[in-house]
Amino acid sequence: MSVQTVPRSFLLNPLLLLLGVGLFLILSRVEQPWFNPDGWPLLAQFLSASLQPDLSAELLMITVDATLVTLAYAVCGTFLSVLLGLVGGLGSSAIWWELVLPGQKGIWLVLRGLLAIPRGIHEIIWGIFFVNLWGLDPLVAVVAIALPFGAITAKVFSEILDETPRQPLLTLIQSGVSPFVAVVYGLLPQAFLNLLSYGFYRFECSLRSAAVLGIIGAGGLGYQILLSLQSLRYNQLWTFFYALLLLNGTVDLLSALLRRRLGCTPRIALPQGKLRSVRPQGPVLLVVSLGLGLLVPFCFWYIHPDVSKLWAPHTGELLAQLGQSAFPPELTMTTLQQLLPLALQTLGMSVLAILVAGVGGVLLSFPAASNFRRFLGMDAPWGWLFLLGVRGVLLLFRTIPAPIWALVFLFVLFPGILPGALALGIHNLGILGRLMAEGIENLDQRPLQALPGASPLVVFSYGVLPATLPGALAYTLYRWEVCMRETVLVGLVGAGGLGRLLSEQLSSFDYRGMTATLSVLILLTFLVDVLSTQVRNQLRYGINTRKSGIIKGGS
Amino acid sequence: MLRLNRSPDRLAKSSEPHLQVQGVTYCYGNTAALTDINLTLYPGERVALIGPSGAGKSTLLKLLNGTLTPTTGTVSVLGVPLADPNPRRRRALQQQIGTVYQQFHLVENLRVIHNVNAGQLGRWPWYQALWSLVWPQGIETARQALARVGLPDKLYSRTDRLSGGEQQRVAIARILVQDPAILLADEPISNLDPARSHEVMTLLTHCGQGKTLIMSLHALEFAQTYCERLVGLREGKIFFDGLVTAITPQQITQLYRLEP
Amino acid sequence: MSQSRRALLGFLLALPVSAQAKPLVIGAIPDQDPELLQRLYGKLARYLETELGVAVVYKPVTDYVAAVTAFRVGDLDLVWFGGLTGVQARLQVPGAQALAQREIDAQFHSLFMGNKKSGLRPFQDLKGLASLKGRTFTFGSESSTSGRLMPQFFLQQAGVNLEDFKGQPGFANSHDTTLRLVEAGSYEAGAMNEQVFLKRSETGAVDYTRIQVLWRSPAYYDYHWVLNPTVQARYGAKFAERVQTAFLQLDLKVPAQKEILGLFGTQRFIRTQNRNYAQIEQVARQIGKIK
Repeated sequence: MSVQTVPRSFLLNPLLLLLGVGLFLILSRVEQPWFNPDGWPLLAQFLSASLQPDLSAELLMITVDATLVTLAYAVCGTFLSVLLGLVGGLGSSAIWWELVLPGQKGIWLVLRGLLAIPRGIHEIIWGIFFVNLWGLDPLVAVVAIALPFGAITAKVFSEILDETPRQPLLTLIQSGVSPFVAVVYGLLPQAFLNLLSYGFYRFECSLRSAAVLGIIGAGGLGYQILLSLQSLRYNQLWTFFYALLLLNGTVDLLSALLRRRLGCTPRIALPQGKLRSVRPQGPVLLVVSLGLGLLVPFCFWYIHPDVSKLWAPHTGELLAQLGQSAFPPELTMTTLQQLLPLALQTLGMSVLAILVAGVGGVLLSFPAASNFRRFLGMDAPWGWLFLLGVRGVLLLFRTIPAPIWALVFLFVLFPGILPGALALGIHNLGILGRLMAEGIENLDQRPLQALPGASPLVVFSYGVLPATLPGALAYTLYRWEVCMRETVLVGLVGAGGLGRLLSEQLSSFDYRGMTATLSVLILLTFLVDVLSTQVRNQLRYGINTRKSGIIKGGS
Repeated sequence: MLRLNRSPDRLAKSSEPHLQVQGVTYCYGNTAALTDINLTLYPGERVALIGPSGAGKSTLLKLLNGTLTPTTGTVSVLGVPLADPNPRRRRALQQQIGTVYQQFHLVENLRVIHNVNAGQLGRWPWYQALWSLVWPQGIETARQALARVGLPDKLYSRTDRLSGGEQQRVAIARILVQDPAILLADEPISNLDPARSHEVMTLLTHCGQGKTLIMSLHALEFAQTYCERLVGLREGKIFFDGLVTAITPQQITQLYRLEP
Repeated sequence: MSQSRRALLGFLLALPVSAQAKPLVIGAIPDQDPELLQRLYGKLARYLETELGVAVVYKPVTDYVAAVTAFRVGDLDLVWFGGLTGVQARLQVPGAQALAQREIDAQFHSLFMGNKKSGLRPFQDLKGLASLKGRTFTFGSESSTSGRLMPQFFLQQAGVNLEDFKGQPGFANSHDTTLRLVEAGSYEAGAMNEQVFLKRSETGAVDYTRIQVLWRSPAYYDYHWVLNPTVQARYGAKFAERVQTAFLQLDLKVPAQKEILGLFGTQRFIRTQNRNYAQIEQVARQIGKIK
């Protein structure tokens, strides 16, 4: 029973200490004043436009095209990141190195370390980097998604591979089969469904990223939303919002359905020990392969990225130029004096954001779980409406890209870390709430049945809460690192922190300064990663979490 | 240690030994699991490895198929040391050793044909091996092997839908296809009921004709029925090694006795 | 892979970058409503096609930085830059040439706008900018010359630093946004491009009951066409002069050309050159927009 996993020294937990420090940092740094009441009229205009989206034929045509572009970026990006993830995941898995080059632990560690670099940099930064090499080509958006997501996928894949039962593989190796073929026969088939399931989840993330990349000009719905928001055409804006909601809602729904059909453990559930070999129900695989077989070529055709740029000599020249203008990073005393307070602000922003996301996520996850009504005896029809309503809110929260949220908050808040933190918090709340709800739906029912006749409230507080909270907490901590990486996003639209500085440096073509800022940002991300892993380990079940791999998400 | 009559003369003179273990010691960390093992197996011998739990039977089998490398001493297969640093040569050698396990170690979510074909993967070039996952290769060989183990109609069944006994027979079919010179079996029947056990043992000894067969067994009566030579292991050392007929009940009792 | 298949693959990959077919790509910094830009540059592209005898396409760009970057990478050949972005682009692409601009661009002005309810009063002298201390304020885009660079420079001269505003200053991404934000009162004051303001005022898109002009800045050089030197290799050494002539020849008497001039808000285009922008570069270095 999972009640025992609640940490004993909960109150003395370093986590709370950390949050306290974070809050202090924020409160001591919020610029006075932070509230701009003069913005209410525009906000009201913005909100009331939600009831009158622009449905003219011309705009609908633009909307359909933008939706397809966003979808295509996500599909192409995911496709490539899964390919990268397979190669990288195998190459960085412990089992591969034990088999092929036993005793070369050094190389393995170096490989794992190398994969951490693309992971630590947000897609949008990759996007900005690739724009400098490939200009305005759709290739930029595709690779900007594929590279960091490929690295994340590689990490998760390597963990899945390492947790897959390996005896069949060893048996093949012992009978003299070459390691490569042995892996394909003995390991991949068993890990396949777990890999596929993770691939679907990655696709959900890619879709959100594709929308965000619109903000640096990759086109698609994100771009149209930003454009209409900034030219204050709110009726058009809401048309795009609804299109994005529809797209994300459909994909999330399909992906959840497929993952359930595949029979894989949801990411937030904490598997005990090894991954089980799963068995799909129905012709899921057929449907999936048919869908992919049509969708992937269509998407590549729709945006036709110019792949020849990948190896064009001009790319090399531009890369060399960029290298020359970006190195060495500008790390003088003055820049450091500028960077340090901004770094603290950014850290504070991430803490505030994850607080909003964590607390809000836990609160909304219960009403968003389909089995919650039973606990409270809410079987009336309005129970369903309530459930749909909460899920709709979560979908809205996670679908609207964080920078767009930031711009909305900037209606009534002055630029600074507060609108940024709120934007990140709201966006991640939508993601966390959904994952936590999935966790609740997959709750082990036995401990609950052991409380027969107890009132729903008792069942909830003694059965449901203790069983779900630890996992939720662990996942929230993991998500903190994602929030840290995303601070750059809201900074780019003027919401404070290092991202704000980066945006200013970007428009000044101050590449040396950017390298310095980025280094600090990556350092902070690693710091947060280490901290969150430490705390999760201290929460005991966190040890499971760290090893489990499936819990690892991404943006 | 008791050392009774060495391997039977009729085989000794017929050919070179298939397997030779010379002065092998194996340690897990600081604990020695096996100490100074010497063992020579000739073609066609059927050897049962017996002894109490923790005596080192599994470790010895793992040393014989190259999963583990001895801490000291050498294991030679067909006269060649198994610890060849060249992976290609080592793999060629390992293809001459087939292993059957207690838990079968099949890839459960592949179809039976692929699990049987796993036996010939070592002989195929990599592209043929990969292509076979899409378009099964070597179907005739696989079908014959399955027919020999009594599962002629299970070629395209999903492996995880088979019973335990059937899965063990698929594992044996895999070995048949691999066609190694030496056949190792690690507790092949400990998960099966007596009737299935007899079936599997008959199959193993049948398939093992002309090959060297060495299996670790808990069930003494099976060892005595199906094998001609018994090797008793106790506390990581060879306690006795001789023909079934030459081992006395007292020796068996001594082998399994609990420490005072 | 067989020889023929490899050849086919190579052909397919090379197709999108086939050199002969590459048209002249024109672009512009997105300082105004993108829909207007699309209309304007569509017409201009057609005019240039007939004048220059090469294919011309317009590629929309999402922000100022992207325009400069695309110019450097070679995605854009001929770009309508602002004062600052033009200097940034020429610093990054040696040999790039400022060719032509509107008459007003040689004498460009920024306007400081105030919301009526803020109580801010128009003033005649640069010193009057000091009255913006303690007010909320928004610039245009970070890289805008008339919406950010020059306003910040004049503010500095009047002794107003960025920290003197109430809250942090905003950065609206276009002049239209600045206008609307100040009009709505989200910010009490803001700085914008005079020419965009006049055009909006002409069409009645300015609500004078809510917004007023506080101050008109001194003149400086702003918008201009910049040509990438790589086009000379593609279309011949005299191409820069031909492009320049095409702009100078735009004539009010020809209806189609009158429309283009109208959309640009000018009577005619005049010659310009790189050294007209020495002042802008100096100010940009002072403010830190050029390192």
